[in-house]
Amino acid sequence: MAFSEKLRARYQDILKQILQSGLYKQERIIHDKQGAKVAVEYPPGNAQQELINMCSNNYLGLSSHPEVIKAAHEALDHRGYGLSSVRFICGTQDIHKELEARLSAFLGTQDTILFSSCFDANAAVFETLLDESAIMISDRLVHASIIDGMRLSRAQHDSYKHSDMKHLRQKLELHQDKDIKIIITDGVFSMDGDIAHLAEIVQLAEEFEALVFVDDSHATGFIGKTGRGSHELCQVMGKIDLISTTFGKALGGASGGCISGRTELIDLLRQRARPYLFSNALAPAITMTTCKVLDILQASTKARDSLERKAIWWRKALSEAGFIVVPGASPIVPVMLYNAKLTQIFADELYARKVFAVGFFFPVVPQAQARIRTQVSAAHTEEDLRVARAAFIEIAQKYDLLGKTKAELLNLQL
Amino acid sequence: MEAQLLEFIRDEFLDDPETEIDADTKLISGGFIDSFSLVSLQSYIEREFGKRIPAPRITAESFDTIKQMVQIIQQF
Repeated sequence: MAFSEKLRARYQDILKQILQSGLYKQERIIHDKQGAKVAVEYPPGNAQQELINMCSNNYLGLSSHPEVIKAAHEALDHRGYGLSSVRFICGTQDIHKELEARLSAFLGTQDTILFSSCFDANAAVFETLLDESAIMISDRLVHASIIDGMRLSRAQHDSYKHSDMKHLRQKLELHQDKDIKIIITDGVFSMDGDIAHLAEIVQLAEEFEALVFVDDSHATGFIGKTGRGSHELCQVMGKIDLISTTFGKALGGASGGCISGRTELIDLLRQRARPYLFSNALAPAITMTTCKVLDILQASTKARDSLERKAIWWRKALSEAGFIVVPGASPIVPVMLYNAKLTQIFADELYARKVFAVGFFFPVVPQAQARIRTQVSAAHTEEDLRVARAAFIEIAQKYDLLGKTKAELLNLQL
Repeated sequence: MEAQLLEFIRDEFLDDPETEIDADTKLISGGFIDSFSLVSLQSYIEREFGKRIPAPRITAESFDTIKQMVQIIQQF
């Protein structure tokens, strides 16, 4: 047997270290459709409890929307369960071409290529499009999938301080002799919920002849007046060279993603992107249902308008109560507690009060930046948010947290 | 060299100017610098000190503190 006792001990040791450092991730088991309220079993083996879900990416409440479920059923009936092929052999169907065209129209781009996930899309893009003569200049807080994607590329890499346009300019000046320069950012940053300064980024890109890449996974469907994304909000539609996004969050939440942008870049990805060439075509149910989701979004902005109102209310409710909330205009509302141990205690206390939110601490976020990340959904009722607010305030009063500074929170004896 | 590196790291990587770091602070394992940012450190060293440190010598372990960095730079 190849898995010897020595090897087993080695992996057991690694797991023990993760456990001892308090970084072992215990999954919460949910016995329900994704929604504003979910039945959660945690720790495993305990009785299920119905909790208000403040930590899903189901921003528009479409994950279990009746019209979305119906569209997925119909897709299964019409095109079956799977395609058993990559795109370039016998996996490309009319529905894939339709979704690609629909996404290009929705995002205001020239062409789109589908991937099994946005992680795959980000893993593909830099390796395929850039060589040694290129420099990738990324915001320091971009998503892990972009970091992995950049690691796969032969291009050189540099980074700028989070949303610091002065620093980005310095980096562009430093690397201005490179053949290809590409500025890489998230549209909405997943841990902080703030939005990239895309208007200034585009301006700098034009000045230094750089490309712009934006991962809009936490924006597509609801940021901007008609939900096209952060480029709509920042009024730079048509000026972003490459946009990656996911269908796994607001757009129904199943899986799948895409890169959308300049015709030649998308065509080259279709020819050479390894995660595209060597993984299955997007399942018919996801492909056709994502088209349905776009129909829903284009017929009415009701869901994104409702989400916007609720997110503003929630952000204000927490700030006014005395919490330190990262400023922003997205439904990602991080409540800063800074202290890693405190975030774990706080999340447990929330759970006891039937509110489901998770604490994030190093290494997921920088040291001394621990927080409870909350995410508002259009599916939340006002009552849900009022109950959640009451739970937050009750816990904060119990531990005397309100109005405390960062230093005071970090020095709390727990 | 220590002081110069300290100033660069403070300026380039730290968002909070009040963060206390010195030549012995564990910068990468302590979460002050992302290991991926080592490339900018490499190009700074080349620019300022005229030393090209090969990428395999610059790891999260070997470049964790400024003291370690100085030791490696001096070998080139």
